[in-house]
Amino acid sequence: MAAQDPPTNNGAEEEEEDYMNMVIAEPSKPREKETYTQRRLRKEREAEARGRVKSKAERAADEAAAREAALSASLLTDPENASKNKGLAMMAKMGFKPGSALGSKDNVGARTEPISINMKEDRGGIGLDTEKKRKFREEVEKEAKRVKAEEGDYRERVRREREEARLEGMVGAAMRVAERMNGEREEQAALDAGEDLDETTDGTKKRKISVKPLKQINVLWRGLIRRREEKERDRRMRHDLQQSLSRLPTYDDPDEDSDDKRALGKEAARYTVVEDLEEEDPELDEFNALDPAQRLQKLVEHLRQEYNYCFWCKYTYPDKEMDGCPGLTEEDHD
Amino acid sequence: MSRAKRPRTDDLDPSQNPYLAHMYEDQQDGSYSNGNGAASTPLSNFKRHETTALQAHAAEDGPNNPFNNTPLSSRYFNILKTRRDLPVHKQRQEFLDMFHSTQILVFVGETGSGKTTQIPQFVLFDDLPHFNGKLVACTQPRRVAAMSVAQRVANEMDVKLGEEVGYSIRFEDVTGPKTILKYMTDGMLLREAMHDHNLTRYSCIILDEAHERTLATDILMGLLKEVAIRRPDLKIVIMSATLDAQKFQRYFNDAPLLAVPGRTHPVEIFYTPEPERDYVEAALRTVLQIHATEPEGDILLFLTGEEEIEDACRKIALEADEMIREADAGPLKVYPLYGTLPPAQQQRIFEPAPPPSRPGGRPGRKVIVGTNIAETSLTIDGIVYVVDPGFSKQKVYNPRIRVESLLVSPISKASAQQRAGRAGRTRPGKCFRLYTEAAFKKELIEQTYPEILRSNLSSTVLELKKLGIDDLVHFDLMDPPAPETLMRALEELNYLACLDDDGNLTALGKLASEFPLDPALAVMLISSPEFYCSNEILSLTALLSVPQIFVRPANAKKRADEMKALFAHQDGDHLTMLNVYHAFKGAAAQSDPKRWCHEHFLSLRALQSADNVRQQLKRIMEKSELELISTDFNDKNYYTNIRRALVAGFFMQVAKKEGTGKTYKTVKDDQSVLLHPSTVLGVDSEWVVYNEFVLTTKNYVRTVTSVKPEWLLDIAPTYYDLSTFPKGEIKTALQRTLDKIKRRQAMKGGR
Repeated sequence: MAAQDPPTNNGAEEEEEDYMNMVIAEPSKPREKETYTQRRLRKEREAEARGRVKSKAERAADEAAAREAALSASLLTDPENASKNKGLAMMAKMGFKPGSALGSKDNVGARTEPISINMKEDRGGIGLDTEKKRKFREEVEKEAKRVKAEEGDYRERVRREREEARLEGMVGAAMRVAERMNGEREEQAALDAGEDLDETTDGTKKRKISVKPLKQINVLWRGLIRRREEKERDRRMRHDLQQSLSRLPTYDDPDEDSDDKRALGKEAARYTVVEDLEEEDPELDEFNALDPAQRLQKLVEHLRQEYNYCFWCKYTYPDKEMDGCPGLTEEDHD
Repeated sequence: MSRAKRPRTDDLDPSQNPYLAHMYEDQQDGSYSNGNGAASTPLSNFKRHETTALQAHAAEDGPNNPFNNTPLSSRYFNILKTRRDLPVHKQRQEFLDMFHSTQILVFVGETGSGKTTQIPQFVLFDDLPHFNGKLVACTQPRRVAAMSVAQRVANEMDVKLGEEVGYSIRFEDVTGPKTILKYMTDGMLLREAMHDHNLTRYSCIILDEAHERTLATDILMGLLKEVAIRRPDLKIVIMSATLDAQKFQRYFNDAPLLAVPGRTHPVEIFYTPEPERDYVEAALRTVLQIHATEPEGDILLFLTGEEEIEDACRKIALEADEMIREADAGPLKVYPLYGTLPPAQQQRIFEPAPPPSRPGGRPGRKVIVGTNIAETSLTIDGIVYVVDPGFSKQKVYNPRIRVESLLVSPISKASAQQRAGRAGRTRPGKCFRLYTEAAFKKELIEQTYPEILRSNLSSTVLELKKLGIDDLVHFDLMDPPAPETLMRALEELNYLACLDDDGNLTALGKLASEFPLDPALAVMLISSPEFYCSNEILSLTALLSVPQIFVRPANAKKRADEMKALFAHQDGDHLTMLNVYHAFKGAAAQSDPKRWCHEHFLSLRALQSADNVRQQLKRIMEKSELELISTDFNDKNYYTNIRRALVAGFFMQVAKKEGTGKTYKTVKDDQSVLLHPSTVLGVDSEWVVYNEFVLTTKNYVRTVTSVKPEWLLDIAPTYYDLSTFPKGEIKTALQRTLDKIKRRQAMKGGR
């Protein structure tokens, strides 16, 4: 026990000395300010910090830190060690220069650093740590990007958003034009082929739900039709739901025969569109993934090629030359 | 007589060095007199280094043994038939052609090619060492391999082990005057080189399993590179099992390469799609899945250590029982395999897989859960599935904190390839790697770091010095270690007074190199007579050189600890071990050592091998004229003397208790450590010497004994020169001790 006491006493003495040194270095200021009580309190605090037994986690952290520090410091570059080390002196006599490797001069792959020690503390498989680090890094990057975007010029962002919304509007308009022109052409073709069968309905020009499967419609304006059909479906389903009270309209009651179904107005055919809508459409997805300017450009080009129509002049030219149209882009028409 | 012509034919052989001709002549005279009996053997008209496979073939066919002229047995001819089926046999002529054309040859043969047993015999028929009074040596990294291969080759050659064919391992030499082929550990050849720098006894040296890159093999390669220049007559064959042979070729000045395909089947490799959260659990799951879904064939699972393996074995057995009960799975037998397992239990892995539990039922299967000793050194037939979590326990050494420890580390790509290859020994197999393909490509290093990069080199440096190599900095090693490692080794040897400040061997250093021990242990042993306890230190050194003597089974920890407490000495583990040894040598224990050890939770094997090591060391001590003495047991200084002698060797492995808590700080390196929980030492010892510093999840020092700071200053004044110490608690404490000593001396002087 007696052997253990001195270090603490000694520690206190050293503390005192340090304090005295400080006084000399910084003339009398702190001493003046520190009253007896303050000093006593400070001493108490310091003693407490010294006397406190570190927690296991703290000790482990200290231990690991000391180990890492020692492992990362080269013995050759540490000036205090390098000058006194007899091993190094012997090596110098053999012609060793710090920074070089051992062995034959021709051996280019010789190492200059010891193999690092990696402590494995869990049972994670190979690659788990890298995977974790990668995920963490990605998260950090994403966060950084988000913050950056937020920090970016607010007005710039608003302007861009407004521009995009304007372009989306124009894409919609161009789609409608393309659909209308395509419809007109098809009707014309039908008229030419099957004479004038439908004269009465023709006049009303009523927009009907397309009977064509979605995939046969040109991708350029397919999105428009799809949206319209989705709207229609939702409207109908809401309507049916309100009508049928307890059952979903799609519910197929095995007790009902086809007559019942007809009587209840539930022919399966009504839902073909719905099924069509539920299908995956990678072509459309790809088209929608383009930015609005590109989509608009494609539509404009399509209209020019097929119908000699300039979206910007809002005019159908009589021939392919499109004489009088200033150009392809909106700016050309300013 | 054809033999009389031989010197001349050697002269004519352009591949032979002309200086050597007279050397052969000299030795020819010697072999004339004692080799007359062999005059009429088929070998006598062979021309050295000009023989063909056909000639050797004829000689092998008998009827008499070409090496000792006795009739060959029927067993010989049976083995001969199987030998001629081995893949190497087809390339015998090719081997000979290349062997004739070069001094150094690199030979690559996968496991199963027969290289270890056949190539040395091919060499014998061509090199004819017995006509020159020389030997052919074949080194092995492991003792067991050297013994078992020598036995096998003795059978193949129809000779008695220890006569024409023998082996030599540390503490055991089974060779005789007739020996022409000697299997030996690489370490033994290195020891021989210390006394015979040119290895003049040998006409050909074969380094087998060079790909394992043991410390001794690496040193031998560096040495042989130099010896080859001094001895142009010496033939050298480097044998490796992996295809990374270009490195060997380049190292040996672009030596020619001969590759022989192994006898292996394709192995399909599977990776996991995601990294595993727990590789042990994933391994168990994979093993059970194989058992449930894959066709017949045994499983080999690689894990890292004894505890992990035993635990896994228990869990697999439990789960398998359930599968048998509930899903009608086939019977499953689980065997552990690791280095410290008793040999009898190791042998059990060769038992055949269990039969179906009922006729026509699902086939039985065996699972071997092993460390990486199952990777290269043991060949188990019948393995079709390999489960590889990608880890092994590897030795690491870092000179910056001077810690040598076994750590679980990722394996290398080469190692993973070896493991996979184990599945294709008998038929096409499958290897399940418990990591992703991307991780295999990016995270695993190409080759396992050779041992020389992962070891404390103080004993190696001592050996090199003894081998006559003075320029250690430029010694041409295949993979030179980091400069700091050499620096530490030289520094340690200087503190131990084995090297002087100029790096020359001191008398103590020369003596220490005679002992096959760590320099610190050797120095402790050599200086022990000064402390009047050399008998005790001799026992202790032996005990520290063998595996753990205390056994602590998982199911009887408490009982084992109670038994250990019977031997405990309050001052430390070293003294406790010594108490065990003395009790073991007592009459009560010796009447039935097996039972006594079992009752006291001690390893009989470790104690017996300590006994054996002690005998060997004692012989060296007697040869070196070191006095064997003891302090009287009733003297109050009996144990103090032993503790002081410990300091003489281990003064660089000292730790001091920190002011608060249970932690200690290592002297000079300032690392926080805890006493290993296995210690018998109470927590109030201020200073301790330790035998090893181990890294696990915490830093531990193991096998500790309490010492006094006065002894440190007294016994190792150079190391404890306070001006070399960093400022801190340790320096302050030592300073206080020093002041106390001075005061005491002054007081004595004053009176």
